[in-house]
Amino acid sequence: MSATLGISANYHDAAAALVVDGTLVAAMQEERFSRIKNDPSLPLSAARACLSLARLDAKDLTRVVFYENPYRKLERVLTMSLRTFPRSLSQFPRALASQLSGKLQVLDELSSRLGVPRDRVLHREHHESHAASAFFLSPFERAAVLTVDAVGEETTTALWLGEGRTLTALERIAFPHSLGLLYSALTAWCGFEVNEGEYKVMGLAAFGQPRFRDEFRKLITLASDGSFSLGLDFFDSHTNTEVGFSPKLEALLGPRRLPGKPWDLTSEADRRVADVACTLQTVLEEALLGLARRAKERTGADALCLAGGVGLNAVANARLARESGFRDFFVQPAAGDAGAALGAAILGALDSGDARPAPLERLSLGLPVSSDDARTIAKNLGLVVTPLSGPDDVAELLAKGEILAFAEGRFEFGPRALGNRSLLALPTPIAVKERLNRVIKRREPFRPFAPAVLEAEAPKFFEPFAERLAPFMVTVAGVKPEARPSLEAITHVDGTARVQTVKADSPFGAIIDAVGRRTGTPVVLNTSLNGKGDPIVGSVADAFAFFLGHSADALVVDDVLIRKP
Amino acid sequence: MKDCAPVLSVRTVKDLVGHFAKQNRLVLIPLLVVLLLAAVLLVLTQGLAYVTPFVYALF
Repeated sequence: MSATLGISANYHDAAAALVVDGTLVAAMQEERFSRIKNDPSLPLSAARACLSLARLDAKDLTRVVFYENPYRKLERVLTMSLRTFPRSLSQFPRALASQLSGKLQVLDELSSRLGVPRDRVLHREHHESHAASAFFLSPFERAAVLTVDAVGEETTTALWLGEGRTLTALERIAFPHSLGLLYSALTAWCGFEVNEGEYKVMGLAAFGQPRFRDEFRKLITLASDGSFSLGLDFFDSHTNTEVGFSPKLEALLGPRRLPGKPWDLTSEADRRVADVACTLQTVLEEALLGLARRAKERTGADALCLAGGVGLNAVANARLARESGFRDFFVQPAAGDAGAALGAAILGALDSGDARPAPLERLSLGLPVSSDDARTIAKNLGLVVTPLSGPDDVAELLAKGEILAFAEGRFEFGPRALGNRSLLALPTPIAVKERLNRVIKRREPFRPFAPAVLEAEAPKFFEPFAERLAPFMVTVAGVKPEARPSLEAITHVDGTARVQTVKADSPFGAIIDAVGRRTGTPVVLNTSLNGKGDPIVGSVADAFAFFLGHSADALVVDDVLIRKP
Repeated sequence: MKDCAPVLSVRTVKDLVGHFAKQNRLVLIPLLVVLLLAAVLLVLTQGLAYVTPFVYALF
């Protein structure tokens, strides 16, 4: 038997993934256990949970593979700090201390904390791990692979050729020229939290016009060969680690928006922010299209794979699917650093002689919930428990207009809730969106919600979309005009929705099907089961904590319904 | 599984030096040693209590 544990950690959203004899058996983020959103700390709880699911002990592991090279990372910190001296002086000690107080000895720490001999703890390269997660979990035998994120060791963007069991690096762009850092710096300028608010910028973009093209030409230059370079005067990420941009950016685009200020998109100031977000989104899409065209030219492949944090931009993915010229397209749905644990595990497994894993079909790779546990907790809390006989009971509640906290089976890996840890509601009326945004999730009123639709019924409601991406909610589709009245709570201001297709023979699909039989629309609003600033629910206890702290109408755990008395 | 605090192993030190040698970056090692002392001081004085977002993103 061969068992390989992949680990990503120490920067943001740490995760563990386990491959046993060539099969991906589990993958979980540490945040689901620590309850700290995007927890970067070493994912020991996630690793233990992966092993327990597979009924393995750490001593059974053939190897543990860390997702990046800590020595190259340190080298980049040192060389970049020297290059930018003396501007880097203020951040340098802290950056170096951050490296030396844990990151450099991460392999030792993994060995020691997991109880695995040090010689079984290895590392790969950051973008190689991303590329492996995308290509080896795709259905393609040959594909171009793009990895695009903020920065790995020093690479920010890379082009690979995937063939069978091999990945070949072809081209790369190095720090500080980075699409991820461009997007993150502008995220900070828009007043959102870096590494968390990028989704909000994408949603906000739909409210704006791309009227800052001239200004953005100073921020980023797109070359005809697909490469790009940032106007470094405007970015200050190695001397200003708070926002990542210099005063010149505010001179160019205006003062940054204050974090936490209430939004008023009828005001001139907030419309300006929306226009900057829209221009940023447009420029990002053009940069990605340039990279994709280069990838096509260089590899001649029919298929494209994408991973790295930028791959979470569903709007850009939809444009890549339409315009990149590739016949087929796969985005590894946990495209950020958490997903690199998948790639690290797969690379290690392939080195052990394992077969290449099967194409990714589901993301429910976490721990399961148990309705017995739910009954016990509900009883102890004095809550009202009612058994459910099947999906029709859940559909009946949704059809009545209830908003349900829903936990079923194993929790999902990655940033999207796909029907295992979700808040569910009907996709109409618009008041549902208002209640969810303002009362339950307490988030910005402009942010859209996603629809989950039966796969076979999707063409009735949505314009053509990238079908391979839709099961994982990493693309958007136009909502057909005639369907909008019945889908108003999930239709964004630009007429699109981040669509999720669901097979009818799955537990979630059965519920959507039952909703369709009652309402004529086999679509439900599906948003993640978490409160503001919290990670998505993992355990039954987390589900109860959410339910008690928020005003969802009821909690469903597998086959039991729980209500407050 | 154990929960003891790790220190740099001989293997890591060897790999680290090997990496810098392979990359022809030996000139950085004296700098690394000096700054290691500064880093230890920062850690001991709790100077890492506040780590800003781009420190995670970049370093």
